[in-house]
Amino acid sequence: MSRDRVSGLFWLAVALFAAAQGLALKLGSLHRPGPGFFPFWGGVVLGLLSIVLVVRSPAGNAPGGARLRPDNARPVVAVGAVLGYLLLLEVLGFVAVTFLFLLLLLRLERRSWTFSAASAGAGAVGCYVLFQLWLKTQLPTGPLGF
Amino acid sequence: MEIFGGVLYGFQVALQPINLLYCFIGVFIGTLVGVLPGLGPAAAIALLLPSTFAASPVAAIIMLAGIYYGAMYGGSTTSILVNIPGEAASVVTCLDGHAMARQGRAGAALGIAAFGSFIAGTLSVIALTFLAPFLARVTLRFGPPEYFALMTLGLMLLTFFARESTVKTLMMAAVGLLCGTVGQDTISGRFRFAFGIRTLEDGLGLVPVIMGLFGISEVLLNLEQREQQREIFAPPTTALFPTREDWRASTVPILRGSVLGFFLGILPGAGAIIASFASYAVEKRASRHPERFGAGAIEGVAGPEAANNAAAGGAFIPLLTLGIPANAVMAILLGALMIHGLQPGPLLVKQAPDVFWGIITSMYIGNAMLLVLNLPLIPMWARLLRVPYTVMYPFILLFCLIGAYSVANSVGDGIVMWVFGIVGYLLKKFDYEGAPLILAMVIGPMMEEALRQSLILSAGSFEIFVSRPIAAGFLAAAVILLVLPLVRRRSLPA
Repeated sequence: MSRDRVSGLFWLAVALFAAAQGLALKLGSLHRPGPGFFPFWGGVVLGLLSIVLVVRSPAGNAPGGARLRPDNARPVVAVGAVLGYLLLLEVLGFVAVTFLFLLLLLRLERRSWTFSAASAGAGAVGCYVLFQLWLKTQLPTGPLGF
Repeated sequence: MEIFGGVLYGFQVALQPINLLYCFIGVFIGTLVGVLPGLGPAAAIALLLPSTFAASPVAAIIMLAGIYYGAMYGGSTTSILVNIPGEAASVVTCLDGHAMARQGRAGAALGIAAFGSFIAGTLSVIALTFLAPFLARVTLRFGPPEYFALMTLGLMLLTFFARESTVKTLMMAAVGLLCGTVGQDTISGRFRFAFGIRTLEDGLGLVPVIMGLFGISEVLLNLEQREQQREIFAPPTTALFPTREDWRASTVPILRGSVLGFFLGILPGAGAIIASFASYAVEKRASRHPERFGAGAIEGVAGPEAANNAAAGGAFIPLLTLGIPANAVMAILLGALMIHGLQPGPLLVKQAPDVFWGIITSMYIGNAMLLVLNLPLIPMWARLLRVPYTVMYPFILLFCLIGAYSVANSVGDGIVMWVFGIVGYLLKKFDYEGAPLILAMVIGPMMEEALRQSLILSAGSFEIFVSRPIAAGFLAAAVILLVLPLVRRRSLPA
């Protein structure tokens, strides 16, 4: 399947879902449009456009264009690291989780232990000072109180 | 003399030491994100938005605006010295700017980019000064039908200027409109697409969505490519001033770029990127030696760099006079104004003249600061560019995480950013653009309200959009924009 067809079918599914949700929320009347009015018609428009895209796309695998499969695992690692950061943030506290996050990514990029640990430490403390102490952002604290 | 009084008042506001400081911080950070490839002004402003909560609205907006036009200055530095655009609007500057650097004329290229940016930035602020209050008076009379028609026109303009296919751009706009409906419906109070999740009940946050689409996804795409050895041309410490010959060649392109950029900046979806490309095309066509373009023609640096700065000024017009954002950056500024309790739109000049005039006049000051700041700092930026991306990206991700979290101290917002980071990555892979999604997401709730109010006004008749001349005019223009590409394609042999 060509990439346009894949993405078109995906958005068609999204559109059907939105339209169904819109119906469930009640369309209301034209005199007094209800909460489902906009989602429903938004879904209908998206659905029609998706169908146009799918119909117009070539059936076979179109040559050219960017490769879908990444050349390496780094984007996947980054996605995982960001999710891990968010899940641990309120458990371990800002400073600890930031240190671990930076240490992990820098080590995976084959930076030396010394460089990674020093940069991660400086980054975690630096951001704490900048955001928490100076800009007064409320960052989550861990069991140790920072 | 209402404008004169306004400008005078604006300077009184903008010259207060605290506002000067914020202006300076803004343009400095702006230059920094402009210089650094892989971190654009939209993500940077989204990141810093929470840190302005404690500041006064004027100071906050002055700083955030400074990041935007400051980035336009910084982007050229990286284009010229490294041949990588520091920022999307500086892509064309690579062509001739880097060629000039290879010929040992990096100084002249950097110099003309800075001066051109300054001239265009200032000219566009002058135009903004005169045009904005006038337009605000005109748009004061707009009712819901006019607003709905105007926003429809805006979305159509978006597709007209889109780089990807019309169908895909319209699809992204539709997805954005749907994203905008997430959360509580303002009229009925019902929750939509929330599925009982706290974060979604408040609606999708603009900051996390932008950080995801423009911050995280950009990092993911960059990570995929193998790191190239960057060749950085040692920045000249002297000879940053263009020669008289350079000036002769550049003056007209700068002026043309300013006018072109300003008007393209006003239009939704066009903005700085299109303006810089358009200026390059115009200069190449106007030149008596088009073959020099790509081989170090100074006009090819001066015109586009002027255009992208002028566009940054023009983009403030729809925000300040209509409350409608012309691009993703303006969408965040709109959010920032609302967080600070201000309603952007025609009433802003009356309700908060300090903000309205303060922002505008701060741009005169900011542009002057940038001119003074930019050239001496170039050696520092060049050193920064030697930091490898493998060391830089963990910090960019970290800043995005802090930014998304700190808007509402919510991990949920971080998850929204994470999801939109993956979505943005996939969108690029499948040749979709993220910008129409963002714009539609911001405009969506306003558009829905205007549509529903119009229909309530007219007792359910769509005639209201045709019988009111201004609304009808906007809608007619929207239809023309939609049909035009189809007609054009027919008339051209495939």
